[in-house]
Amino acid sequence: MTVTFIGVRHHSPACARLVAATIDALRPAYVLIEGPADLNERIGELLLGHELPVAVFSSYRDGERRHGSWAPFCAYSPEWVALTHGRAVGAELKFIDLPAWHPAFAGLSNRYADAELRYADVMQRLCGSFGVDNVDVLWDHLFEIAADDELAERLAVYFDLVRGESAAGESDTAREAYMAQWVRAAAAEAGERPVVVVTGGFHRPALVSAPAAAGDSAAAGWPEVPTLPPDAVGGSFLVPYSFRRLDAFDGYQSGMPSPGYYQELWESGPQAAARHLTESVAGRLRERKQPVSTADLIAARVTAEGLAAVRGHRHPARTDVLDGLASALVSEALDVPLPWAARGTLRTGSHPVVVEMVAALSGTRVGRLHPDTPAPPLVHHVNAELERLGLDGPDDLELDLTVAADRARSQVLHRVRVLAVPGFRRDSGPATGLDPVLKERWTLRPSPERLTTFIEAGAYGATLADACAAVLAERATRAGRDVDLLAGVLFDAALSGTADVSEQTLTAIETTVAAAADLGALGRMLAVVLTMWRHDRILGTAHSATLAVVIVAAVRRILWLAEGVQGRSAAADLGRIGALAACRDALRYGRPQLSLDLTAALEVAARLAADGDAPPDLRGAAFGLRWALQPPPPAGDPPESASAPLEFEGDAPESVGASLESAGAPLDSVSAAAAVREAESGLGRPDPMRAVRGAFHPESAGDWLAGLFALAREEVLHTPAVIGLLDELLSGMAADDFLVAVPGLRQAFEFFPPREREIIAGRLLERRGLGGTGRGLLRGVTDPELVAAGMLLDDRVDAVLRREGLTGGNA
Amino acid sequence: MTATRPSSDPAGLGPESVVEVAESAGQVQRPPAELRYADELARLRAADNAERPPGWVLSVQAARRFVVGDSKLGISRKFVGDPSLIERALITLATSRGLMLVGEPGTAKSLLSELLAAAVSGDSTLTIQGGAATTEDQIRYSWNYALLVADGPSPRSLVPAPLLRGMAEGRTVRFEEITRCPLEVQDCLLSPLSDRVLAIPELTGPESMVFARDGFSIIATANTRDRGVNDMSSALKRRFNFETVFPIADFTTELALVEAEASALLRRSGVTAEPRRDVLEVLVTTFRELRTGETARGDSMDRLSAVMSTAEAVSVAHAVGLRGWFLRGEPGTAEDLVSCLAGTAAKDNPEDLAKLRRYLAQQVTWRSGEQWQALHNARHLLPG
Repeated sequence: MTVTFIGVRHHSPACARLVAATIDALRPAYVLIEGPADLNERIGELLLGHELPVAVFSSYRDGERRHGSWAPFCAYSPEWVALTHGRAVGAELKFIDLPAWHPAFAGLSNRYADAELRYADVMQRLCGSFGVDNVDVLWDHLFEIAADDELAERLAVYFDLVRGESAAGESDTAREAYMAQWVRAAAAEAGERPVVVVTGGFHRPALVSAPAAAGDSAAAGWPEVPTLPPDAVGGSFLVPYSFRRLDAFDGYQSGMPSPGYYQELWESGPQAAARHLTESVAGRLRERKQPVSTADLIAARVTAEGLAAVRGHRHPARTDVLDGLASALVSEALDVPLPWAARGTLRTGSHPVVVEMVAALSGTRVGRLHPDTPAPPLVHHVNAELERLGLDGPDDLELDLTVAADRARSQVLHRVRVLAVPGFRRDSGPATGLDPVLKERWTLRPSPERLTTFIEAGAYGATLADACAAVLAERATRAGRDVDLLAGVLFDAALSGTADVSEQTLTAIETTVAAAADLGALGRMLAVVLTMWRHDRILGTAHSATLAVVIVAAVRRILWLAEGVQGRSAAADLGRIGALAACRDALRYGRPQLSLDLTAALEVAARLAADGDAPPDLRGAAFGLRWALQPPPPAGDPPESASAPLEFEGDAPESVGASLESAGAPLDSVSAAAAVREAESGLGRPDPMRAVRGAFHPESAGDWLAGLFALAREEVLHTPAVIGLLDELLSGMAADDFLVAVPGLRQAFEFFPPREREIIAGRLLERRGLGGTGRGLLRGVTDPELVAAGMLLDDRVDAVLRREGLTGGNA
Repeated sequence: MTATRPSSDPAGLGPESVVEVAESAGQVQRPPAELRYADELARLRAADNAERPPGWVLSVQAARRFVVGDSKLGISRKFVGDPSLIERALITLATSRGLMLVGEPGTAKSLLSELLAAAVSGDSTLTIQGGAATTEDQIRYSWNYALLVADGPSPRSLVPAPLLRGMAEGRTVRFEEITRCPLEVQDCLLSPLSDRVLAIPELTGPESMVFARDGFSIIATANTRDRGVNDMSSALKRRFNFETVFPIADFTTELALVEAEASALLRRSGVTAEPRRDVLEVLVTTFRELRTGETARGDSMDRLSAVMSTAEAVSVAHAVGLRGWFLRGEPGTAEDLVSCLAGTAAKDNPEDLAKLRRYLAQQVTWRSGEQWQALHNARHLLPG
């Protein structure tokens, strides 16, 4: 019995060549391959003649865990070559690894990720002793570019070294124990005939030593394939894949990068691959009108050859070519390091030339399945679902979201829409979380492309809900710093009933929020998300954990950004005022459940309110935030103000829609807690009288008040002393100053709905001891032209009187 | 990795003579790299059996080992960064293009240029320090006016500057802070770089043209902060290969470097208490975050306009240690760190001070660790 173990790096052309040569030479009885054992019955499906790359997608779901993972194959995958060559020599093919749903794979989304990367210290030491930047460069240096002689021995030495220095984790041990069972069984079955085992190189040393350790167990026979737990659903099926997705794995999920380059290397060798890489980079750059001169290309070539010589390569390797191109073509300082020097996906801020280079490395190849391949379960699932809800034919629908049956149909339609399936169009319906639209109109027109789209979407999940969640997760991850995109994703998630998302996606969402730069956009999003989190029982998003994460991150980010806005004479910006208003609401309604830090927020607000360099509207808003969340002592004013807030219909300006929520605030709990913490933080209570007086400069008073009114409208309304003070300050203004201030003041008072303006007008009349109603007073000033004409006349009379020396006694 | 700039050799004496003079005076503060590492260079030369590019004193492989280190030969690692950067730089020097090292201040560009020149030519002293007042005379050549008046223009009355010497002797010329020179002065490098010849129109006959010998190359450095590389003509840019030198990417490497350098400085200052590791961690993290404008958690922030290089981190760590020791007789604490940050990082820039205050107030609280809490609590120690 001869068992030949080949330890490979997944997606390595050099290893693929070795596998092919070994199988062709040995003509083994069995070829055992690291892959999901539950797929053994269906290996034929893999060999139907697909256009590569394709992947085996596996999904799993039970009560607590949901998992989706891929096992991608491209032409130069050693596993793929083992399948095709094994079949060609008539060997029996077996996948020998645990199924993808097994807990040993938890958290792993790429089966063919580099296992050794999970043991970073070893790899770093190894790179250090070879004096190379990273594992990929080391791999190229040792295996892809070096000549093929004694490749098997060198691979074995390399992986023994890697393995020798690190203790394998629990899940790797479990997988190895299982694979060893298969190897034993195959060896027993094969008798004298050879067996070839193709696994990740990291596992090889364990497998080689395993049979000896286990002794000659007589109880041979193929090991059992674990079956799904009874309460779980899951399965594996073939899906088309693409080089772009193959290259997009990051961190622990990543395998060999640059599939476009290695495909070329596999097909036509290192020289042709280098030439092709240079050509495609130059072509791409010229297409984009970036200058690439012949002299540059010569310089790039010379540098690449030089580097190859220094690094001891027979032909320029991947990074030799890339380094040469970068040296010759980039003639300015870079903002971020070259992506091939550190592993990982492209970082924002990469030089445009570098971006094109990475795109050329990635390649654009997209796989296609043979038409006889069984369709992924998603296709059956979607068709059944659409049929069940009567959505499979052409139709024009009007759905009422308050009706449960319609809501279910709407959810399914939204999921289909998220998958970008042609023929499903929503004509109208809720567009943000704030509008009161509760009806949707849809146009359904089945088209032939529908099936193709579903097959492609099959790679995202086995059920409509899973696929939709995966697509949304991808969109959320790609949102980068764009909060509006993220808001769109969150709203789509709400519409499609996608409640829980993966840890990874949550991290991506947090990152987007943490990197957001636009206060206005963040405020809009927080207002929407907060409303959905608090109230939305129709879409079922009330108190969803995902939205809670978004709220916490957004509050933190808004406070951070607000403190950085500079410009003492900047005009009022409703966006940023709205952001603080949304922040106030989050703190007011979400604080206990979300454990938001009120003290920290009040400290920021206090600093902001006192910062002379901050724009006046923001300072007013910050003061309003403090006042709203930390009410002043009810000294002169009876507590009636805080305990009996009025109910108002919402007709305040749209941009601060969330400020409507301030009506009916349960202030008691907030104020009690605030009183306790206030003592700890050493923050004084806000003093509105002082603050208003201090901020009353003609050119900025309006903006400051706009901020204040937006955040603490209630509090102002119920503090007659402040209204009196405003009256006093306004009356005391010189006529010219008043003209300067009036546009800002107008804008500020817009924050009060008409009914509240009436109350203010009433208070003013009362204060001056005049009769009449507030409504009457407001109506009195409705013709500004008449007032202006009157004021002009007054001015003229004054001027004439002054000229004639007829002014009053004190002149 | 403090980027101390070696002075050029204004007297036109060779490197050995500089040191002889200085040794007679008793001390050399910082001899050039080829003398500091003379034994390493000698060992490399002895073990060097690879082919050398024409005019080089070492092969490319040996030169690379000189910079990135080689434990087998007992060569120390002198530059912390990607080995591929060194390889690209050396290959560029072997081709006909100049090497332009660009990057933030304090990323050890000058040190790297010195090491490369020492490895390639065995001499790092042919240095032009760029500045607003740099003239072509200081780059190419000038005249000994007494001789010029007496004899007229002749090779005897010619005073060669680094560029002319580098070309005539086939050595590496260093041009520090090239973008601080006026554009027209920079452009006198054009024909030496492309045609490899320098004309001396005052002389006649064969002496009027100096052709570059094998081994001549130029290493320029430029700072991305002051004035920027945009102030180079595109003709000159085309003749250089640009290499961006980044701050140390790896946290542990930077921490180790700061710890080693700061401990050495503190010992020299007579402080016997080793700096506390947790305080240094907080210090290095703070520097890295303010430098990149991104926290460990991913929050994006405004970068400080002050330079937050590793060299600055070392000097702050030094100052922190001094404060702790001489004020209280103990290692420096987070409170000392806040006081030192204000002076070193924020300097006199009120905007930076505001950014620093905002950072200490809002981006420190969410971290666990005693020193982070101490840092947050000490935020009131910032002036203003």
